[in-house]
Amino acid sequence: MAKVSFRNVWKKYGTTPAVKDLNIECPDGSFLSILGPSGCGKSSTMRMVAGLEHITAGQILFDEKPINTLAPKDRDVAMVFENYALYPHKSVFENMANPLKLRGQDATVIKDRVMAAAKLLEISQLLERRPQELSGGQKQRVAIGRAIVREPNLFLFDEPIAHLDAKLRAHMRGEIKHLQRTLGTTMIYVTHDQLEAMSMADTIAVMHEGELQQLGTPREVYNKPVNAWVAGFVGEPAMNFVDVGLQDKDGKTYFIHPNFSIAVTDQQQHIIAAAARVNALRMGVRPDAMSISLVKPKHECITGKIFVTELLGGDMIIDVDLDDGSRIRVKTSTDFDGVEGQTCYMTVNRDKWHAFSKENGKALF
Amino acid sequence: MASRDVVRYETPLSTAFKWLSAIFIAIYVVWTVLPIFIMFMSSFKDLLEAFKLPAVGDWGGIMVFFDFTPTTKHYYELFANLGFTTYLFNSLVAAGGSAVVSVVLGSLCAYSLSRIDFRGKSDLFFWIISTRMAPVVAVMVPLYWIFRELDLVGTLPGLILAYTTFNLPFAIWILKGFFDNVPYAIEEAQMVDGATRFQAFRAILPLVAPGIGAFIVLCILFAWNDYLFAAIIGSGGAKTLPAATRELVQPQNIQWGQIMAAGVVTTLPMMFLGLVIRKYLVTGLTMGAVKE
Ligand SMILES: Nc1ncnc2c1ncn2[C@@H]1O[C@H](COP(=O)(O)OP(=O)(O)OP(=O)(O)O)[C@@H](O)[C@H]1O
Ligand SMILES: [Mg+2]
Repeated sequence: MAKVSFRNVWKKYGTTPAVKDLNIECPDGSFLSILGPSGCGKSSTMRMVAGLEHITAGQILFDEKPINTLAPKDRDVAMVFENYALYPHKSVFENMANPLKLRGQDATVIKDRVMAAAKLLEISQLLERRPQELSGGQKQRVAIGRAIVREPNLFLFDEPIAHLDAKLRAHMRGEIKHLQRTLGTTMIYVTHDQLEAMSMADTIAVMHEGELQQLGTPREVYNKPVNAWVAGFVGEPAMNFVDVGLQDKDGKTYFIHPNFSIAVTDQQQHIIAAAARVNALRMGVRPDAMSISLVKPKHECITGKIFVTELLGGDMIIDVDLDDGSRIRVKTSTDFDGVEGQTCYMTVNRDKWHAFSKENGKALF
Repeated sequence: MASRDVVRYETPLSTAFKWLSAIFIAIYVVWTVLPIFIMFMSSFKDLLEAFKLPAVGDWGGIMVFFDFTPTTKHYYELFANLGFTTYLFNSLVAAGGSAVVSVVLGSLCAYSLSRIDFRGKSDLFFWIISTRMAPVVAVMVPLYWIFRELDLVGTLPGLILAYTTFNLPFAIWILKGFFDNVPYAIEEAQMVDGATRFQAFRAILPLVAPGIGAFIVLCILFAWNDYLFAAIIGSGGAKTLPAATRELVQPQNIQWGQIMAAGVVTTLPMMFLGLVIRKYLVTGLTMGAVKE
């Protein structure tokens, strides 16, 4: 078990950077998820930790010891590969026994450990099969089994469940989280699925185009995104963004838009005042931070026209057109009976809305 | 494999084609199998009986071909008096030795070429292949001179070295294709599991085994059937079967019976080898060729 630190880590393939100046501290025994869209440098980061790629610049440390020049076998990490990378000519048992065999363990110890891991992952009945005789989900569990038969410093899971169907994925999320908790081993888990990261991790590192955007707990990342990109990437359905102007009236600051004019809270007003010379912002509201109704409420609200309604089981998503051509989505209960084309009114929970700079996307609040 | 049943429709053309191909195959079989058959029969015949032939056009007389008293005296003569035991041994050692050396060096080199990027890699690869572009006779004289200076002429190590020189580029070329088809992720997984680079290399050898098997066979065939190197580099101390057989052709007396027997001794082991590894050879040779 180890604490993992990234200090100003860069990865360049030729001259194109894949990871830029990464700084992360991952405490011993914690679950770190690296979240980002395809091609943002997640696997590159992972492979540098495992020792499969050179670290172009910076340092990666295990328990404050730099490991930049250690061979993979001396780093003692266990990795689950994006494409499983099982040994096609070996049985499931031999696949899982391989790390132990390479470490010169006794046959009896190997047998016990593999059996225990297989039982945990519910693949005991598959031990004699070859990888090509397994389903995707089974292969993935064998790959995880190969990682957990020993007690490594660190687990590295690279999108291990991305190829599974939705139901199995939901099941495996729970399993993997439970496994990490039980073993207490530090885990770095790469995924492009924000739901996976939110539901499993202690800490999420959100990456975009090789740069770390935000490092925080799932709550922080969801509730206090540092910029518009993170805000838009995390959360499903995605956050709504609307360009608004600013206006001061009677000592209060208002967000101005053809469809609404809503005052910000006092605290938010201070933040806006502190930011020099802004007169336009990008407002962000999550679909569940608004309520929608067909009768005009007494307080300030957003007026719009229903574009389409979608029923999602227990919830409903309403797409609403605004006059400036933007469209926002609102989550509501299934009792809502508005139809397409109707005028509707949305009340915003002002404690839960966000404002981002229009120039650099940075969050004001 | 990509083969599958193709829907076929009978047309006059396809019927004609079917007949034509049947005839062609029949001729081809006779063309290739008959000489071997005659060689095999003649090796058991006395010289006089071997030359008993029916008159032209006398198809009924074909039976005289089978009318003989079998004798093994040619074989006895070869092994008891003409030293063919040694020549057989030389052939086996030269072919097997060069196959082993080529496969060891070839797989290491092919692995490196397949896995590691370095400057001038494609040039190097082309240069390795291009050594096989010149005909063997073109390099024979300088090679002979080098081998003589090194005291390698007429020795088995010399002959092994000569065959290896010519098999190695071939080995690298075939095996590189096989290594290219093994995903690098498998070695990466091995290394993360705790293997050294060399252990990871060894771990993927079973995956290129069909290629190695196929190559060993081709390599053995080349060395076994070779006459030129055997006659020039191996002459004297390291005589192999083809070179020894050639010596049975003496100016005043061609030993047809013994030549036929020597032919059988030379051919049989290779035919046997072919039968044993036939399946292996076919999958091996096609597997490396196509990427899935
Ligand atoms: N071996 C390589 N040579 C050159 N460029 C590479 C190499 N590997 C990755 N890249 C580039 O580096 C960037 C990051 O790649 P990486 O594999 O880390 O992305 P990722 O976040 O894991 O994406 P995905 O979710 O699709 O797996 C990409 O733009 C990719 O094209
Ligand atoms: Mg990846």
